[in-house]
Amino acid sequence: MKLKSSYIVVAVLSVIAIAFPAFLGAYPLNVARSIMTYMALAISWDMLLRSGQISFGIAGLFGLGSYASALAVLRGGMDPMLSIVFAAAFAGLMAYALGFAILRLRSMYFSITTLALMEIFRIVMHNLHDFSGGPEGVVLPSVIFNGSSPALYWLCLAGLFLTIGVSWYFEKSKMHLALTAIRNDETSARSSGVNIFNYLLIAFVITSVLQGMMGAIQVQSYGFTTPDTAFDANFTLLPLAMALLGGIHSTIGPMAGAVLLGVASEWLKLKIPYGHLVVYGIIIILVILFMPQGLFGLARKARRERSKAGASHE
Amino acid sequence: MANKRNAAIFAALTVAAVAGILVWRPTVIIYGLQAAGLYASIAIPMGLILGIVHIVNLAHGEFMMVAAYLTYMVCTALGIDPFVAMLPVALVTALVGFIVYKLTIRQALKAPELNQLILTFGLAISLTQLANLLFTSQTRKMSFGYVSASVSVGELSFGVYNFVFVVIAVLMVIGLRLFLTRTTAGKAALAVGQNPRGAAIVGIDVDKTYGLVFALATGMVGMMGAIFITRSSIFPAVGSPFTMKSFCLIAMAGIGNIPGILGASVLLGISENFLKAFRETRGWADIVFFVLIITVILGRSIKGKKA
Repeated sequence: MKLKSSYIVVAVLSVIAIAFPAFLGAYPLNVARSIMTYMALAISWDMLLRSGQISFGIAGLFGLGSYASALAVLRGGMDPMLSIVFAAAFAGLMAYALGFAILRLRSMYFSITTLALMEIFRIVMHNLHDFSGGPEGVVLPSVIFNGSSPALYWLCLAGLFLTIGVSWYFEKSKMHLALTAIRNDETSARSSGVNIFNYLLIAFVITSVLQGMMGAIQVQSYGFTTPDTAFDANFTLLPLAMALLGGIHSTIGPMAGAVLLGVASEWLKLKIPYGHLVVYGIIIILVILFMPQGLFGLARKARRERSKAGASHE
Repeated sequence: MANKRNAAIFAALTVAAVAGILVWRPTVIIYGLQAAGLYASIAIPMGLILGIVHIVNLAHGEFMMVAAYLTYMVCTALGIDPFVAMLPVALVTALVGFIVYKLTIRQALKAPELNQLILTFGLAISLTQLANLLFTSQTRKMSFGYVSASVSVGELSFGVYNFVFVVIAVLMVIGLRLFLTRTTAGKAALAVGQNPRGAAIVGIDVDKTYGLVFALATGMVGMMGAIFITRSSIFPAVGSPFTMKSFCLIAMAGIGNIPGILGASVLLGISENFLKAFRETRGWADIVFFVLIITVILGRSIKGKKA
């Protein structure tokens, strides 16, 4: 019974999300798109985090995806829709190759290496003047779907749905058990027969595919990119803050965090043109200090305590 | 034995390479050393925190940025030289560092490493964005005559002011060595760094030592901020590359090996300036550091596997 009602809620919410363009103008749709992009990145970051590996290189794979897609259209004459698939595959392939080296690293060494890789991608794009346009970046001949904002919205939504779906699958399948085991205790996970490296590689490649795909969708819907926008540190920072606020190790947590922070930052951007991101920094600090499990962690704990209290009454 | 021979071959190769470059492009060595001085003097305080408090402080460069802005304000308001403002600024930054330690980092000492990393990341963002909020992203610069002092040797003419960073870096290493081996507080800090629980058992106040070390390190980086503004323009994001570079240098030297940071900085400074010496490769100079950090980290992990 409970399961069914939650399915109905999900169905209703997705119908509402799909129907948004019917009653929203171009500006709210644009805001919604940026929130959805960040949401997808937050979820994908969290998916890797479930194995205990914290990546600071979201922007790197995101930017790699944008460049792969833009250059495939510009230099290879690829169809824009196809180029999104190509970019996702390219990001995945890169992650697969890199994963062999960097997934052997742990804790802060992994994080710092992902951050450094992102910078390397950015500098390479900065310097390959003839191929990637250098610091000026690339401009596409036309925006996908001729810039029709409902269509762009649905494209982004499709990317988000795919991300949510994969993350949900991660939560429900064997992956969840394997990744949690790796996070909790690698030695005991290995001795119970979990192939740690394989699972990490799968998680890393899949999250990179998703991040690359979102990058490609972003570049196709804006029609241009530069090294500094594609590899903007905000694409690392905002998803991280969103996931932390909402609650890590879940799909719903990053989603809630993205909605809260995304709407708040749009509002703050209008109020404080410079430095509105200070709110993000403070949220990260406060969440880490006072509720490391995020909003949903708090809710879960409260519910558990209530049910415990109820049980003792009976 | 083989190890010794390898080390000797390596040293000989390095000397040969340096001598070769010195004859061919002397400025590479000169500017490389100057850059190395700057890198090292910013990395050493971070190495101190990492070696004793065992926290990767991702807000390290941001403390320098804050100190640089502080110096800018003080110096423009009072019309004094940054070198005069250096000590007061260092004291204020140390105080800020101490408060930040008490309010945030102390609470996360027992938390998993992930939380500490994200916490200092959040600190870094807050500081950068606070500077953005107060000063906007416009760059600020102070100019002084003595910065452009130069020396000519034969046909070669180069700026000498930046050697001040080399002097500071060497002084820092010597000063820290003396502090850690000669003073009671320093010995306590060293003991806490080696084994916090053991130190607590023999009666050292671990928390106080951590606070002291954190304040000392932020004070040092605050002093660097005051000197930094004499040679570079500042903007809110000016500190963040130094956080990364400092971490890379520490990882290269090995955590806890403060003199090793000097050597690592020289390697980084010279190889960066080597690429900057040619027009075609100038844009690639920034990549050296990132390639170096990945090579070092991967190299260490592979070596660790074998051992």
